[in-house]
Amino acid sequence: MDTNMKLMYDLPQKDEEAFLAAAQTDEKRMYCLPYDIEDTEFVKGFMLFTDKAIYKLLNGKLLFRYPYLGMSDFTNEIMYGSVGFYAKRNGNTELLCRFISGRNLPRYSVVARGCEALAAAAANKTEPPEPLTSGEPERYCPKCGRPYLLHTKICPFCRNNKDVYKKLWNMTRGLHFMMMVPLITAIISMIIRFSLPFVQRTAINDYILNDGRADNYLLHFSVIIAAIVMLDIAQRAINVLQGRISAISGNRFVRTLRALLFEKIETLSMNSISAKTTGDLMGRINNDVGVVQNFMTNLLPTYFGQLFSFILALCLLLWLNPLMCLFVFIPLPIAIFAIAKFRSSMQRRNMHSWLLGQRTNHLLQDVLNGVRVVKSYGNEQKAIDDFEKTTNDQAIIDEENGKLFDTVFPILGYIVRFGSYLILLYGNLMLFGGSMDVGTLNQFNSYANIIYEPLMQITQIPRNISNFFTSLSKIFEILEEEPDVRDIDFPQNIEIKGNVEIKNVTFGYETYDPVLKNINLSVKAGEMVGLVGHSGCGKTTLINLIMRLYEVNAGAIEIDGVNIKDISQNSLRTQIGVVLQETHLFSGSVRDNIRYSNPHATNAEVIAAAKAANAHDFIVNLPEGYNTMVGEKGFSLSGGERQRVAIARALIHNPKILILDEATAALDTETEKLIQDAINRLAVGRTTFAIAHRLSTLRNADKILVLDHGNVVEFGTHKQLLDKRGYYFKLVMAQKRAAEDGRSLDD
Amino acid sequence: MIMPNDKTSVQLNEEEDIFYKRESIPLTPENAVFTRSAGGLISLEIINANGEKEFFERVAAVRSFPITDPDYYISIREPDSKNKEKGSEIGLIENINIFDGKTVELLTSELDKRYFTPKITKITSLKEKLGHIYWDVNTDAGKFSFVVRNAGSNIRTLEDNRVLIFDIDGNCFEIPEPDKLDKSSYKKIEIYL
Repeated sequence: MDTNMKLMYDLPQKDEEAFLAAAQTDEKRMYCLPYDIEDTEFVKGFMLFTDKAIYKLLNGKLLFRYPYLGMSDFTNEIMYGSVGFYAKRNGNTELLCRFISGRNLPRYSVVARGCEALAAAAANKTEPPEPLTSGEPERYCPKCGRPYLLHTKICPFCRNNKDVYKKLWNMTRGLHFMMMVPLITAIISMIIRFSLPFVQRTAINDYILNDGRADNYLLHFSVIIAAIVMLDIAQRAINVLQGRISAISGNRFVRTLRALLFEKIETLSMNSISAKTTGDLMGRINNDVGVVQNFMTNLLPTYFGQLFSFILALCLLLWLNPLMCLFVFIPLPIAIFAIAKFRSSMQRRNMHSWLLGQRTNHLLQDVLNGVRVVKSYGNEQKAIDDFEKTTNDQAIIDEENGKLFDTVFPILGYIVRFGSYLILLYGNLMLFGGSMDVGTLNQFNSYANIIYEPLMQITQIPRNISNFFTSLSKIFEILEEEPDVRDIDFPQNIEIKGNVEIKNVTFGYETYDPVLKNINLSVKAGEMVGLVGHSGCGKTTLINLIMRLYEVNAGAIEIDGVNIKDISQNSLRTQIGVVLQETHLFSGSVRDNIRYSNPHATNAEVIAAAKAANAHDFIVNLPEGYNTMVGEKGFSLSGGERQRVAIARALIHNPKILILDEATAALDTETEKLIQDAINRLAVGRTTFAIAHRLSTLRNADKILVLDHGNVVEFGTHKQLLDKRGYYFKLVMAQKRAAEDGRSLDD
Repeated sequence: MIMPNDKTSVQLNEEEDIFYKRESIPLTPENAVFTRSAGGLISLEIINANGEKEFFERVAAVRSFPITDPDYYISIREPDSKNKEKGSEIGLIENINIFDGKTVELLTSELDKRYFTPKITKITSLKEKLGHIYWDVNTDAGKFSFVVRNAGSNIRTLEDNRVLIFDIDGNCFEIPEPDKLDKSSYKKIEIYL
């Protein structure tokens, strides 16, 4: 399922010929990518990269052939929508081609690296390297070239519905019977509905119109009436039954699917989770499952029943009177055409109203969030005017829509049922001529009405089915995703001592853009390592890798000599404690939060951890002590307090490796002191990785690692690095100066 | 913030290579000469803040107000794709038209490449599917198909009535006067305006 981004496109025939005419016989093709823009025109050109040269081809013409020798600095410069692929040739920068960024930047980024390697090989007269591959998944449909839906591999134009349906069938194995029941009841209900007009016909023809001439008139008539009543009751009973069973099967269906989805999402690696937003995941668990369930338990039986009744009614009408049956269908083409036409305009109008609603919401959010700014600049009137304008726009459209819909719908309904006038006219002519009886006419009319019923909805069916398949595909996409961080078959459960060895590690969230390049680092058990560098240099990434939230692209991380890939994730993570800058406290008591990683911790252990974290004193002063509810709906703690709870949480399972990611960045100096004390205490005897912007907090670190653009620039003790007067020294000095400036401002 | 000219202490000199920002100068025909580079791009020779001549094999031109004032405040920069934040502005052209016609042409051709914004002349098809809008259009740069997500924020009507459309690939398209489009095209986009 995981197809990597395509780096070898097929050349069109004409370009192929042009290439072959210019190429040497033994050239090996490495990459072939399209480019999209030449001067100020959209084009469909191709860049072909062989092991010897770069070819630029457009509509069967070779625009250039550049051998790699003498070329360097292959870069992609993002412009505005488009990207320029530049390179230096004999010292002069040249624009090789331009392409559309979203579609092709990840491809050209890989190829740019590939070209560097090829150019280096040409310069050193060594063998050209093998073609690189992209670790990125393809984001464009290989069939039609349109982009997949966001975060998915679904092309709404080319997806295979059959496949998805089969999967649904297999997954809901235990629910098949439940799912069949609504279909069966729908059929029974239809049969009863169809037999009613039969009985009615007998009642009308034999009794109502015959003035009681038959024997036992009263008795027979009572039986008929009783039958009508019974059938009516039976039909309603069946409907009740169907409703009840749908409720059961629908809920089971939702429960099964949601549980499967949630379980899967929790086991997925950070990589695929962070590729999707929380909103997207919540949408899949809530909305998409809802759409699928509604379709399976409500829409499908309804459609099925309607299809069944349509066919049955059609047969009966033909059997009763073929000619009259024709009258039923005469207005239909017009009606269906009118409905289809009106539906599309209705969708447009609803869309318009929805867009305006979105705009109003957006404005509201913007202004309410920034209400302090609005007020402090005295701009209330402008905000009021803006809001009035958008709500006004929306009101006008909504009013128009309402008026139109309430006029058109009754008219449409009238057109659909126009056939019944024809039936009435023709039927009565036949009635007077004696070739038809009243009962049959009544029966005919009843069936004709059944045929009309589904027509009003018919144009909605394709849309509903399409929505259903999209939601289903989105659900399956998660269910079928293979987490890329996985335990090996027999992972080790080790007792971590805390020696960490990072060997030649390279990693990028997008493989074409490495965040860490060839990092080496050796930390002995119990040492504290400070990670320093400006934001975006890869500090947090390195820590994520040590926790194995992501898998390294190259190299290895070893703990006590064991590659972390061979350690079970559970064993690894239970022995690592983490304190982040942004602390998330779950809804629950302080105690629950502290023993989050170890629910069986005793109260004594909880208190010990809280004391070590300098948190005990403020906790016992909370209204309900350790039982105080915190989190979203609970007592709100200050940033420093939350941070100390988080430290206690990290301490409770006595981790051998401790990770502090900007743990004190958001705090004032006094609180920081408290927390720094706590950290110093708990870092003793544990391997600690600490990220800090305020370098003073790293004074106690055994070693300091300075990162810049994903490379290690310096490594050593605080003193060694100061003596070196390098990058670290400059950072320290700059901070010192900034602090002094701040102080002089305060005076 | 450390001022680059403040060279009062020894320490500061040592901080320079991390925090130093080149001092941007106003570029005028008197202190700047733009030429076509050997690679077909733009070269620049300036007389810098210290009165010295400086030559750049290749410079990039960036508009400060690409949508509202494309001819004003054009930033001339050292191309540096790796470190966008580091100060690499060589200078600022307040108004491109103070330069001679040849230079204007040179700069404009480069700017037009960077701000490639095809103008839509006709919308042949517009389909909405699952929150994505699929467009087939004719533009002054040829026929093109693209996809727009979040119509609310990616179809923008400007104050001067121009409409800008941003697709999911990052392209930008312009409709200069939507009401002058042919009827069927206008009807297709009407609701998004």
